[in-house]
This record gives sequence, structure tokens and C-alpha cells, in this order.
Amino acid sequence: MASIELDHVSKLYANGAYGARDVDLKIEDGEFVIFLGPSGCGKSTTLRLIAGLESITSGELRIDGVDVTNVPPRDRNLAVVFQSYALYPHMTVRENMGFGLKMRRTPRAEIEAKIQETAGLLGLSALLDRKPAALSGGQRQRVALGRAIVREPAAFLLDEPLSNLDAQLRAEMRLELVKLHRRLGRTIIHVTHDQVEAMTMGDRICIMREGRIIQVGKPLEVYADPADTFVARFLASPPMNLIPADLTAADGTLACRIAGTASIAIPDRHRAAYEPAAGGKVLVGLRPEDLHETQADPAWQPLPVTVVAVETLGVENILVGQVGEEKPIQVSARLSRHFTAEVGRTVTLYADAGPMHLFDPESGKAIPRPSLAARA
Amino acid sequence: MRRLGLHIGLILVSLAILLPPLWVLRTSFVPESLAYSTKLLPEVTLQNYVDLFTQKRFGTFYFDSLVVATGSVVLALPFAAMTGYAFARFKTGGRFARFTVLATQMLPPVAIVLPAFMLFRTVGMTNSLAGLTIAYAALNLPFLIWIMMGFFEGIPVDLEWAAMSDGATAWGAFWRIVIPVSLPGLAAAGVLGFILSWNEFLFALVLTGPGTATVPVGLASLQTSNGVQIAKVAAGVILAILPLVVASRFIQRFIVQGLTFGGVK
Repeated sequence: MASIELDHVSKLYANGAYGARDVDLKIEDGEFVIFLGPSGCGKSTTLRLIAGLESITSGELRIDGVDVTNVPPRDRNLAVVFQSYALYPHMTVRENMGFGLKMRRTPRAEIEAKIQETAGLLGLSALLDRKPAALSGGQRQRVALGRAIVREPAAFLLDEPLSNLDAQLRAEMRLELVKLHRRLGRTIIHVTHDQVEAMTMGDRICIMREGRIIQVGKPLEVYADPADTFVARFLASPPMNLIPADLTAADGTLACRIAGTASIAIPDRHRAAYEPAAGGKVLVGLRPEDLHETQADPAWQPLPVTVVAVETLGVENILVGQVGEEKPIQVSARLSRHFTAEVGRTVTLYADAGPMHLFDPESGKAIPRPSLAARA
Repeated sequence: MRRLGLHIGLILVSLAILLPPLWVLRTSFVPESLAYSTKLLPEVTLQNYVDLFTQKRFGTFYFDSLVVATGSVVLALPFAAMTGYAFARFKTGGRFARFTVLATQMLPPVAIVLPAFMLFRTVGMTNSLAGLTIAYAALNLPFLIWIMMGFFEGIPVDLEWAAMSDGATAWGAFWRIVIPVSLPGLAAAGVLGFILSWNEFLFALVLTGPGTATVPVGLASLQTSNGVQIAKVAAGVILAILPLVVASRFIQRFIVQGLTFGGVK
């Protein structure tokens, strides 16, 4: 069991590029944390810094309060599962799984017992004498996990372990990993660029960009209260709609005026928070699921949208449309599977302004307002 | 019609390549007196082969070549593997070191054979198989380093990282993971090094004496003041290329086998 603490950790490469920049994060013992971000954002680098596979340029890394910044990987008692699985190709599944224990001079009988136990847990018992080349992608992935589990490490570091699997297997393994975490109770850091994995698996999400941590929080908190437009757009698919508007105050009400199209009034409970920004430009952040085809709630406000395409997914339809006339902005709406509309026609959708966010168009930062997630 | 033309072309090219070695094979089984005959097989004899071993000490040349070629590979390969790994993984010495190693291959052997002779004579290693083995190991080392470097660069670093987080040291990861995974590469480099040493003539001629001559030097000695004993030369050539035929089969198998055979996705 291990808590992992990154204290202003940075990684600077010889070419002047930062792999990780001032990463400050405490991961509690037994926590399942997701590092989420686009390719090249520094999430895998940060994982390798924790594992000791790359050296830390500045800052301190502590495991269970002990400074391990300069401790070699073999003495950190962390297990890493790589995206490529990194199975030793010349060894059988049994030898792969037992390698870490052999390195730690565990008695042979004990190694065999642990391999059998872990293989049983992961359904690998029949494959122990096969070599990696004779395994399917899913089996290799389980062997890689088994190799990590059998060592009973203090924490697991998973570097996009599901990204090479097909969609169905990925969904199954997602669930398996969550169950495994519950069963083992060990700290897990899971690196991914998949929003679904991030939302469904972790206790906390840590969103990274250009080597920095942008936001850390519980999945629903981050979803409901994104720190900036990057998080707002990255965490869901289709991403949050960001519509330029003028925030105006008149007659005691506050409203976002979208050029030549519509006006969306700010709900009373957010007025105080947004009032200081009145008179300026903002980006209105509306999730696709907060745009509706009918006005089921009188508080929902009309928003004319010109239809560009309707994507039928079976369970729902995604409307892709444009808002505004002079400089049309593309928006998406998650509508019922019964919704149909001709391309080029203008339809009225109804925006639920309750979960709506306003962002500063210059910095991209969210204008602070009371959290919806906190109330929930 | 076009296919027929293609086939005729291919047959002609194949004949151009195959006929000379086939004629050498034929000559090796023909008595010396009939060697220049234009008949396909005027008479068949094994006498040329027998003479090579009984009169010309070809068995000794063969043994010397085997010892020197194998010895030089065994000596050079560990250094090549370790240096190649350092270049590939740790970028030791940067591009400068890599190309300095390669630059040593640019010198024609004739430019260094005399300095090498002086050096070996100073340490008393001329006319010895050990001296020639060391010379060949040194000559082949840069080439083998580059082959191994290319192989190691193709091995995903994840494998070593996995080993290191599993508890291995950097050396342990190299020895227990990288070397076994690189066996096809090591074998290919070894066979190529063997072939280079087996074929080498100039250093063998300068550094060896009558008791330590290798096959190429032995073949050259068949050219006497009375002319070339062409049938014996042909038999010697056939014997000389036999190990290369075997080696090329090996190298093909190892190279085709590929590198990491399913360890990484």
C-alpha cells in the first residue's frame, strides 16, 4: 500500500522541452487516479517519473512519505503495465509472471504458488506454458496485468493498457480493472486519453496539458465544473459547445447575447457570480445534453440552430448545427433517437442554462460560480 | 508472349550467375590434365580433393580458417553487443562516437596492414593464429557494432523498463532480456563476421606463415611457378565456399525470424 506524492516535479529534456512541468499532486493510499490528456501532454512521462524509469529534473517524489526521487525503479516496489504490454518474448507466460519474484529471490515454491493464484484470478491458468507470440491481444494484456499483480507491489502504474484492445474487450477490461482495484485495494495510477475510461474508472481524474496538471477532481466534479475551455471540451464526446457572446445586464437580469441569434438569461443562482463580468465578452459553455428539442421545462431558453448534419447512433441522435449568422459557430446537441431535421433548416433547441458555464475568451478560464457538483 | 520473354530473360540471367560456379564444381571433379577441356565431364575423379588434403595441407588451412574466423567472432561479438547497446540506448558519445567507429572502416585494409604487421611483430604475434584472430576481431568490430546498434534500436525500450520495474538492474535488463531477444541479431552479426574473416586474404597473407595460413592464402599458394593448378584451385574453392553456404542459410533463418516475436503489440 502506498501514497504517492509529487512535490513540484519537473522533467526537462536536453532539447529544452518539458516532459512534466511543476506537477504537484498527492495520491492517497488505495486511490484509483486517472491521468488524462491528449497525446504528448506529459501523462506517460509523469508515470515514468513515478516509476523511476526517467530521472526527475527538479522537485521531489515521495512514496509513503519517503523521498524516492533518486531511488532506482527496482527499489520502488511499483509495478508498471505498458501500452505495448512489454512481455518478454523469449519467456513463457509463467516465466513472464514469475520474473519479478525471481529478481527478488523469492523461493521457487512460493513463486509457483503466486503464479497459480494470479493466473486463476485472471483466467490464465491454461496459458501458462505459452509464449507471448501465441496469445491474443486480450490475453497478452491480462498476462501483463498478471505480471504486475503477482508481485504484490505497493502501487500499480498503468500506461494506456487498454488502448490496443478492440472496443468490446476494452469495455470488459475496464470493468475488470475496477473490480481488481476493489479486490486488491492498491493504489492505481491509470494513464489514458480515453474520456470514457477516465469518467468510469477512477476515484479522481487528473487532467494534463503541455506537461502541467490543469485540473484534479472527482470525475463528475471535473465534468460539471471544468476549470477551462480545454477541460470542458476534452472530457466529453461530443465536446462542450463554446459560443461567443456578450454578457449584458439590464433590468436586474443578466443575459448572454449571441450575435444576431438569441439571448440566454443567466439563472438567478449564478447571477452574483457572473455580475462582475457583465459588459464584457464571454464564451458560453453548454454541454450537448443540455440542448433539448422540446421545452420540457419553462426555464429552458430557445436557441435557433441551423442543421448541418444529424448523426444517428441508434440510442440517440447527435445534431450538428450552427449558431449565429455572421460568424457561425458549430454546436452539437444530444437529442432523442426520434429527432429528425432537414439539413439547412433552422430548428429551435432549448438550452438548459442551469449547468451552463461562462469562460473568459482571453484566458479560457472558467468564470467561478457555485459548483453544481458540490450541491449534488 | 510477354511472360515467355520474361522467362527467357530470367533464365539467361540465372545462367550467367550459375554457370561460373557450376563450371568450378565441374572442374573440381576433373583430372588436372583435362581441366581445360571443353567437354562437360571428360572423366570424374576425387583426386583433386585428395591431393589438396594429402599434398597441399589443405586440412590445416581449413582448420586454421575455422579457428580464426570463429575465434574472431567470439572475441568481437561481446564488445560489439555492449558498445552497440550503449550507442543505441544511452546515446553514449553521441553521433560523433558512432561515426568515428564507422570511419575506421573507411581506411582501405592495405593502408593499415603494414602498421598492423609492425605492431604484431613487436608483441611477437606474427605467424600465430591468436594474432590473426585478434586482428580480425579488431577489423570486424566497427561493422559488428553498427549491426548490433541497429538491432538494439529496434527493441522497444518498454521491455527494459518492464524488467527494471520488475526488479532488474540496467545490466540485468540487458543480460536477461535484451540479449535473449537479440539472439537473432547476434547470430546474424556473428555469421556476417565469420564470413568476413573467412574470406579475408591480405591480413592473412601478411600476418601468417606457412604453418598458420588460412584457406584464401592456401588457395593462392596453388599458383606456382609452373602455372595455376586449376583443378585443385577449383576443388579448394568448392571447399572454401561450403561453410559460407551453410552460414548463409543460417543468417537467412535468423534475419527472417524477426526481432521481438510477439512480446510487444
